[in-house]
Amino acid sequence: MAQLHGDAQGSAPALRVTSLSKTFPGTRALDDVSLEVQPGHIHALLGGNGSGKSTLIKVLAGVYHGDPGGEITVGTASAHSDKTSPQWARQAGLHFVHQNPGVFPTMTVAENMAIGRGFETTGIGSIKWRALKRRTAELLERFQIQATPDMPVGLLRPADRTMVAIARALQDQEGGHDGVLVLDEPTASLPASEVDVLLTALRRYAAAGQTIIFVTHRLDEVIAISDRVSVLRDGRHVATIDTEGKNEMDLVELIVGRALDRVFPEMPPVESEEAALEVRGLVAGPLRGVDFTLRKGEVLGIAGLLGSGRTELLKALFGAYPLAAGQVLLDGQPVRFKGVEQAMDAGIAYIPEDRAAEAAFLDMSLRENVSASQVRHYWRGLRHRHGAEGVDARRSITDYMVKAHSDQQPFGTLSGGNQQKVVLARWLRRRPKLLLLDEPTQGVDVNARAEIYGAVRRAVEEGTSVIVVTSDFEELSRVADRVIVLAHGRVVAQVAAPHIEPHRLTELAFASAGDTTRKVAAS
Amino acid sequence: MTTAHTSAGASTDETEVAVASSGLGPDAGPRTAPARTLWSRVTPLLEQYGLLILFLLMFFIFASFWDRPATFRSGANLRSVLGTYSVPGVLALAAIVPLVCGQFDLTVGSVAGLTALSTAAALTRFEYSLAVAVVLAVAIGLAVGLLNGYLVAYVGVNAFITTLGMASVIAGLITLYTNGDTIIIGDRTLGALGADNFLGIPMILYALAVVAIVVYYLLGHTPFGRYLHSIGSNPTAARLVGLDVRRLVMLSFVLSAVISAIAGVLLVARNGNANPQVGGQILTLPALAAAFLGATAIRPGRFNVVGTLLAVFFVAFALSGLNLNDVSQWITDFFTGAALVAAVALSTVIGRRRAGAS
Ligand SMILES: Nc1ncnc2c1ncn2[C@@H]1O[C@H](COP(=O)(O)OP(=O)(O)OP(=O)(O)O)[C@@H](O)[C@H]1O
Ligand SMILES: [Mg+2]
Repeated sequence: MAQLHGDAQGSAPALRVTSLSKTFPGTRALDDVSLEVQPGHIHALLGGNGSGKSTLIKVLAGVYHGDPGGEITVGTASAHSDKTSPQWARQAGLHFVHQNPGVFPTMTVAENMAIGRGFETTGIGSIKWRALKRRTAELLERFQIQATPDMPVGLLRPADRTMVAIARALQDQEGGHDGVLVLDEPTASLPASEVDVLLTALRRYAAAGQTIIFVTHRLDEVIAISDRVSVLRDGRHVATIDTEGKNEMDLVELIVGRALDRVFPEMPPVESEEAALEVRGLVAGPLRGVDFTLRKGEVLGIAGLLGSGRTELLKALFGAYPLAAGQVLLDGQPVRFKGVEQAMDAGIAYIPEDRAAEAAFLDMSLRENVSASQVRHYWRGLRHRHGAEGVDARRSITDYMVKAHSDQQPFGTLSGGNQQKVVLARWLRRRPKLLLLDEPTQGVDVNARAEIYGAVRRAVEEGTSVIVVTSDFEELSRVADRVIVLAHGRVVAQVAAPHIEPHRLTELAFASAGDTTRKVAAS
Repeated sequence: MTTAHTSAGASTDETEVAVASSGLGPDAGPRTAPARTLWSRVTPLLEQYGLLILFLLMFFIFASFWDRPATFRSGANLRSVLGTYSVPGVLALAAIVPLVCGQFDLTVGSVAGLTALSTAAALTRFEYSLAVAVVLAVAIGLAVGLLNGYLVAYVGVNAFITTLGMASVIAGLITLYTNGDTIIIGDRTLGALGADNFLGIPMILYALAVVAIVVYYLLGHTPFGRYLHSIGSNPTAARLVGLDVRRLVMLSFVLSAVISAIAGVLLVARNGNANPQVGGQILTLPALAAAFLGATAIRPGRFNVVGTLLAVFFVAFALSGLNLNDVSQWITDFFTGAALVAAVALSTVIGRRRAGAS
């Protein structure tokens, strides 16, 4: 299997990018970038939000044309940077899995595979189902994906879904591994346990000789599986180094350009014993009787596996998901919201997990996005105060370090992490009493992650109470005063501040629940 | 104001790690050809003012060359075109209100046809006052709008199907009531509104201006307008920032139908009669065409009032010019249809590029 790995040494690079620039109106997203990727390597592409990683990948994929003057070489095929096209990329052997893997959940694995390359048909135009299934079964075998051709993709584990997308991208590569597999943030929306499954698979493909480029903001992954790292900063290529012997701090320094002393801010200890929120016997969707209390100024983490009802819990509290039973007390007063507006009036803010589907107004401007939660605020004297709205938007851009060339820039042209910061600003500027965060740092770079929690911390100091859901248990252990673990629709465990450890949370989340609530480490 | 884009510059070299083999250093300055930068600056302007430029060009050609440039640029012809296309202008404005929140209203022309008829009947057959006739028309608009809006927003029927069906229902009702007969009106005030000029400009154009200002204000300068845009952009996200999406969608249909009802009254004023043949798709399609064409101009990718008016009069003067030069009648439908398809294709492409996708 690993025959290719040996003779890869010293041979020509699998991918070479020379003097690549890309200018958008108002922004230079890539500035004279040159880099090489060795065959059989796992090559990580790192950089802060808006540093140009996705743009680089889109130029390789032929989605964007680069500025003239550069060159892209894959193996023996070469193209001018302004002449790439999806057809060229495919012929040259570049295979892409974009951040949203683009699988169709209601269709079967076999159908998803066929969509990438076209259905084989018989003489009269009907699909050759038998042949398709056989081919799919072979692919599943080759990529060691635990699924059958007939399964709807929506039923697969998230990591397997991404692997189906990978298998689909690579299916036409005949046997050998001359091509390059490019993955844009494949792990950003995967829960921690799934990340391991995917990384193991990537390591296996690389061991078989597959060249892989991948983008991520999770530096532990980079250390764990990559051979080399290239770092972009403000569209420029800063460095390419071997991963061996480097730690996360070294990488952070390269990405940010200076040492970061603390990635997470200290949260002030909770002083108040007063309850900000009490939840009693809440039944909604997968939740079957959830009880907990959130104190004033507390940061409460919720851990749990996919499908444990974490998102539904937050949505139910925000009036966006119907409650079947149970009681919610906000500041001691029972509340029952008919809709989101009532929850907002009561001082609740919710940042959803799926930004593209639930928070983004892609074709509207950054300004309109950031003020979407308080449009009425600018309605004075019978007209909308566009000027005041712009001033506030520009202040948010500065406060939250959003990388944008103007507050009128269409939201869809912001980089992923910068979009996330804008959504955060949209809600924090309302100064909510209760802040519900669902995976708030996905796709966000190390620096911005600290900024985001810094902003949360400032809100906490002003009296906001916070519930945060994240699959990154490391992050939970740093920011939460207390963590409750959800499983089977109930709270099955809770862990308080000095005792919150990532591996403990993983254990608790996996431990089959349903029995008694375990109290681990009180006080 | 733009956030300054500091390039890494010197700090790049401060990192202690060996810089990659590839050449990179302080000389990595701007390398793009200036022509390209210029082009990238011109493209947005072209996008924004393309239709305006086209309009001026077309106007200049018809006013200077071909068979009858003098007739084309005569005051009488200009007034006639402006007057005749005021009603389609109002209907196009009616159409953009639901379009902004992502919904089609195919009843705009039908409602106008219906209220034209109700106005004429109220004045002539029942001899009510003009005020009563107008109130009746608005009430009809309200009723149709509420029904459309309720079915789309609360019952969840596809807007295309709802309004297409409703348009057919209205056509049936019109035939039932009129038996195909035209109703002539004798009301002085209405007649003057349709035919007279004020300061050399057709009165009915002022009516269009009033409607345009109201719609412009509602869509661009009130929370309501912003909310409709948000819903059009992403209804789920709109719900999660606290908007009552269903009520707002219903309101957009109500507003569209009420404006269409007013267009019906103006239609009677302009024609001096209510002809059951005028209405329905004959009026709806050009209105939608103008709305989509307008979304490619001024604020590209967005349905907007100024762009829509520009589109209406672009089509109007183009048709007038072609007709004056004896291009036969088929051109009217052909040109309107071609403009619709071209405009939708264009605004789709522009919209996609603005969202950064593709
Ligand atoms: N279509 C576009 N029009 C204008 N500017 C754009 C467009 N696409 C990207 N940009 C800008 O280019 C810069 C680089 O964006 P890119 O998406 O490549 O960043 P990224 O490194 O992938 O960031 P993230 O980690 O947040 O995903 C950003 O400043 C972004 O605003
Ligand atoms: Mg990106």
